[in-house]
Amino acid sequence: MPQVKVPPPYQGPTQGQARIDVIGTTVGECVEAVCARFAGFHELIFDAAGNVHKFVTLFVNGDEIERSALDTPVGKADEVEILAAIAGG
Amino acid sequence: MAGPSGDRLIRVDMTTQTVKIVAFPEAWKLLGGRGLSARILVEECDATCDPLGPGNVLVMAPGVISGTAAPTSGRISIGGKSPLTGGIKEANAGGNPGQDLMKLGYRAVVVTGQPKDPNKRYALDVTADGAVVKEVPDCKGMWNYALIEHLAKSYPDTASFISIGPAGEQRLKGASVACTDQEQERHPARHAARGGLGAVMGAKGLKYVSIDPAKAGVRQAAERKEFVARCKKYTKDYLAGPQMFKTGTSTVVPVAQMLNTFPYKNRTAGQSPDAETLSGARIIESFATRGGRMHNCMTGCIVQCSNVVHDAEGNYKTSALEFETITLLGANCAIQSWEDVADLDRLCDEVGLDTIETGAAIAVYMDSGGMEWGDAAGAKGLLEQIAEGTELGVAIGNGAASIGKKRGHHRVPVVRGQAVPAWDPRPLKATGITYCTSPMGADHTAGLIVNPGMPQQDWVRASQEAQMVNALCDSSGFCQFLQPTLDDIRAFYGHLYGEEVSREQISDMAWQVLQDEWEFNRRAGLSEHGDQMPDCMKQDPIGPAKMVWDVPADLVVQAYQRQGDREQLFTMKASG
Repeated sequence: MPQVKVPPPYQGPTQGQARIDVIGTTVGECVEAVCARFAGFHELIFDAAGNVHKFVTLFVNGDEIERSALDTPVGKADEVEILAAIAGG
Repeated sequence: MAGPSGDRLIRVDMTTQTVKIVAFPEAWKLLGGRGLSARILVEECDATCDPLGPGNVLVMAPGVISGTAAPTSGRISIGGKSPLTGGIKEANAGGNPGQDLMKLGYRAVVVTGQPKDPNKRYALDVTADGAVVKEVPDCKGMWNYALIEHLAKSYPDTASFISIGPAGEQRLKGASVACTDQEQERHPARHAARGGLGAVMGAKGLKYVSIDPAKAGVRQAAERKEFVARCKKYTKDYLAGPQMFKTGTSTVVPVAQMLNTFPYKNRTAGQSPDAETLSGARIIESFATRGGRMHNCMTGCIVQCSNVVHDAEGNYKTSALEFETITLLGANCAIQSWEDVADLDRLCDEVGLDTIETGAAIAVYMDSGGMEWGDAAGAKGLLEQIAEGTELGVAIGNGAASIGKKRGHHRVPVVRGQAVPAWDPRPLKATGITYCTSPMGADHTAGLIVNPGMPQQDWVRASQEAQMVNALCDSSGFCQFLQPTLDDIRAFYGHLYGEEVSREQISDMAWQVLQDEWEFNRRAGLSEHGDQMPDCMKQDPIGPAKMVWDVPADLVVQAYQRQGDREQLFTMKASG
């Protein structure tokens, strides 16, 4: 079962869970699975038009993918990582 | 080889305007920056002294790694007893002075005493040949940019500068210490801003310090080959990673907005309706037509998080326009335009002010009815009044608590007299524990944890670990945005001096920094039971979940007790 890795800033909706096991065959399905389970998560990832926010970066097994490439295939042992750009300042 | 040797301390007595250069204690070789400043203050400064009197000790200490070829390692700590908090303070800055001091083998400048005549202004010139104090009457009252332009005419191109503006000369509690960046123009744009250390420098009559490394080379490590290899690998790995800071901190606005930590109208809300017009994305967009850019504030920086902001005519306006500045001087004052905030940022850099403290003070003033929300022109006028030293300007320049008291206002978001940064403790409880227990008071760079979902049982340990890692990072000279771990730092230290530094040693060193600072604060008479979050943070809810500061005091104080080392302590990244 693929896993979605949630960055610390986004663990509010997941109530502290950093890794979520999901059912999905693409990056989009995996992320949507987390959104379906945790209220408030969708807004953190997608803008009003349904596009991935510009400040969110997606990785599959450590390799960055295009934000629009939500149809990137994901295997059962794969990890989808979400990274939110957070800087202090 | 034993690594860098022959290091020295510059001791400056401003009562007599004399300098002594003494050997740097061998036992202190792994003490630098914040840790060195704390040790000097504990050993040499009466913690009960008047922060603006002759008894205070002003320390300018680069990090241990500064001046070497390690990437993004040239940070400098400015330390002393804070006139704002009444406790110990370390404010950290980039730019080139830290590296330049270290290239000359000067581990710190320690300034004591006070001139008899408060109207006189002095400078300290530091070169390979030594250091001298001289009177500089022509520099009195100069704003930072004009000062550096003036100095650039008479100093070598290789020199860097540490200076104060009119706020420091007036000894205002919100005054910063400016360091020049690595640009050819040497902009005084990198500020050790928090805690009013500019006022301490001003109280010593010291207008500026020049450091000319001339042709001095980088510091060489004992294990040169291994040190260089580590520098190369670290750089390669960093550049291959996500580079979270490549567009600067200002582009974090949308995320902060979503997390309800983009305070609006004196923190009465966690979100601003002006997030779009204040977002750093607008700054990035402006580069195409105005010529601004991202750059490195110090020589050898690979992070390049600093933006250079130009005006509509394409002329340099300011650098760097950071998230904290946009929040406190922008959203928190209901000022809508990033360009207005850029003007305010430039004015703060000119006058020599902490943008966080000053933004919080203006917001308190607006909230108390002194000025309309969002009045950008009025806010700029206030900053000019600070430079002029009017009664209102002085009250604002002394910080949020000062203007709150003057106005008799109830909502003053400060901890131990210091304004709470943008990162809000109501959604970010572990960060709030940092604000209450850090020796620095409410300072996000002391230990920021952006994790609103963190379970309560993890808050204390998370805060303590972040405080330890950041304390050591600020002692090393590495920038927090390079995000080194304790394991990274101990590896660099090991190669630098040719001695293995164990995990136990590095964690003890980090803990000792906090211990020294807490000890100073105890001697200064500050509470050992954790500082209190102000009532407004307990009473004013933000966000849809109506979040308030509701962390029990007995939980907060647990951060003073060492929680024990675990694997994660050594692999977590510094985060400021």
